[in-house]
Amino acid sequence: MTHIVDRRGAGAVSQRALRGYARVGFLPTVLIVLVVAMALFVPRFLSVQNVFNVLRSSSYLVILSAGQMLVLIVGGFDLSVGAVVPLASVVSAMTMVWAGGAVPGQTGLIIALGVLAGLGSGLLVGLLNGLCVAFLKVSAFIVTLGSMSIATGMALLLTNGIPVYGMPKAFVSGFGRGLWFQLPTAVYLAALVVAAVWFIQNFTKMGRYLYAIGGNLHAATVSGVRTKTYLVLAYAVCSILAAVTGLALTAEIGSGQAVINGQLTLESIAAAVIAGVSLKGGVGRVEMVTLAALFLLILTNAMDLLRIDPRIQTIFLGLIVVLAVAIEEMGKRRTPVD
Amino acid sequence: MTDAASLSAPEAARRSLVGWLLVLSLPLLMAVMELSVYAVEPRVLSLRNIVNVLDQASYAFVFASAQMMVILTRGFDLSLGTSVSTVSVASALAMTGLVAAGAPDALVVAAGLIAGLGVGALVGLFNGGFVAGLGINPFVVTLGSLNICLGLSTTISGGGPVFNVPDVFSRLFYNGKLMPGVSIPIMIAVLIGLGLYFLLNHTTFGRSLYIIGNNPRAARVAGLPSRRYLMFAYLACSLLAAFGGLMLTARTGSGEPNLGGSLMLESIAAAVIGGVSLQGGVGGVGAVVFGALFVTMLSNSMDLLEVGGYVQQILLGCVIIIAIFLDRLRQTRA
Repeated sequence: MTHIVDRRGAGAVSQRALRGYARVGFLPTVLIVLVVAMALFVPRFLSVQNVFNVLRSSSYLVILSAGQMLVLIVGGFDLSVGAVVPLASVVSAMTMVWAGGAVPGQTGLIIALGVLAGLGSGLLVGLLNGLCVAFLKVSAFIVTLGSMSIATGMALLLTNGIPVYGMPKAFVSGFGRGLWFQLPTAVYLAALVVAAVWFIQNFTKMGRYLYAIGGNLHAATVSGVRTKTYLVLAYAVCSILAAVTGLALTAEIGSGQAVINGQLTLESIAAAVIAGVSLKGGVGRVEMVTLAALFLLILTNAMDLLRIDPRIQTIFLGLIVVLAVAIEEMGKRRTPVD
Repeated sequence: MTDAASLSAPEAARRSLVGWLLVLSLPLLMAVMELSVYAVEPRVLSLRNIVNVLDQASYAFVFASAQMMVILTRGFDLSLGTSVSTVSVASALAMTGLVAAGAPDALVVAAGLIAGLGVGALVGLFNGGFVAGLGINPFVVTLGSLNICLGLSTTISGGGPVFNVPDVFSRLFYNGKLMPGVSIPIMIAVLIGLGLYFLLNHTTFGRSLYIIGNNPRAARVAGLPSRRYLMFAYLACSLLAAFGGLMLTARTGSGEPNLGGSLMLESIAAAVIGGVSLQGGVGGVGAVVFGALFVTMLSNSMDLLEVGGYVQQILLGCVIIIAIFLDRLRQTRA
């Protein structure tokens, strides 16, 4: 690296700029181009209502993908997030309905119990995943495949597939569909999660250890990192963030749902991968994941506004995921390694 | 890492009793499961049910062996499932179109086969091209083709089933009578199994897949045409899956855009439960046979015991984790 700094001149500067650009990747550029093009050609794109919709729906994906990223960084996988979302939704809604009968009128308490129960269900799944991966050394793919099946079955068994109604109004209209300072509440929640994860990644031991574990598990263990603890922690945080997503969605929908968008797991992994998170572990930054989740949702919204058939949209999304990663990969190969 | 095939005789003999129990854990588990179900529900061991289980397991076997071809190379195929749906819809459309045009049976069946296997080949080339040619992670590539196939199958079918797949197709791949007592799906599964056994154990391509899975760098240094073989592996996977899709289409008698719904996870689960390692390089036809049989027996037993669908899902999740843990023990002991 140092030899470039010594060489003063326009060439070195532009080279450094290029290198900086390569580090951030082409994602921000594509995102800006997309937004500008849409703003110019489809006026409705910048209407308040549309911006709100995009921001709200991307908030959920941002939270979910941030958790997925943590697990990917330690070299794992979490296929169960898409099942934890409905599980937390159902558990929290049922708890609130039960608490509404047990302690009528105590809205705050009812909501608190519901939220705790929802987060608790997420934590349980996360612990199951983390413990199996860290201690039984079972492949993350299989463990989370199993826990996905378990969580889905639980959510359906609890509700028979029927939506759970009867949550406090404050939870639905106050939080889920509410606006604080003109913005949907989910946006604040997502911002909070991103800030927290960003802080963890940049300023805490845990953040550095997660990268170390994903980079080289053996080396991390030998250097005295309590790898097992941190592995369990990564899976637990991922599932809790999935539960948070479930709670926010429940508040917006207004009922506990055992069946929520089956594509969530794959979308969260797609967002992480587009953001340059390596599936081999050790690489990934939450700010990029946020951009990637925004990009995916803005793209979907743009295609909706352009009245592209949703079935064709799926084909586009598939191609974009592959091409995004392919271009990233080619770019990396051309940048000299030093 | 030594795999079972490379163990010498004295080494194998030195295995403790526990080791053998672990090696036999899956067959043992299956026997215990069947016997304990038998105590409650004798129908489980009736000839009719056994034939039924074998019949069901043939489909599971075809999809799991497709998946094995790429898992051996440290990859997997997430698009198996939606690609099966696309195969089903495409072949059904080709056949019903020709029937409407008054084409003879042979031509109709041939068109169905070409359309189905053609879709399979395209998916395989897409997956293999990006994985082998550009070195992109198989998870990402097949996640992409999963979505592409999902969009394709729902678009070309208009969202609903394509009815009136000709009877001759169903007779050929599902309910025709060739040999008394043995159904066509079972015969196809046996043929595919024998073919794969030969391919994996007695051809350079097959042996190379194990080497690529065990140590990709060594395979490249040794001068194996790794890229070409990887490409073939993905092609074989998608073609096998497409063939399974044709078999399922023959069974349902219609092209179904939702046919492949849970196939992707089931095929991976069956292969891995049988002992195909996601780390690559370990597994074979035998493993897939046991994995497919186990998964089928489990759901058959639960059906007979009238376990509800939701509880079945929970139990399946638990069993997947336990089976894979046993496999893990087996590998560390071996």
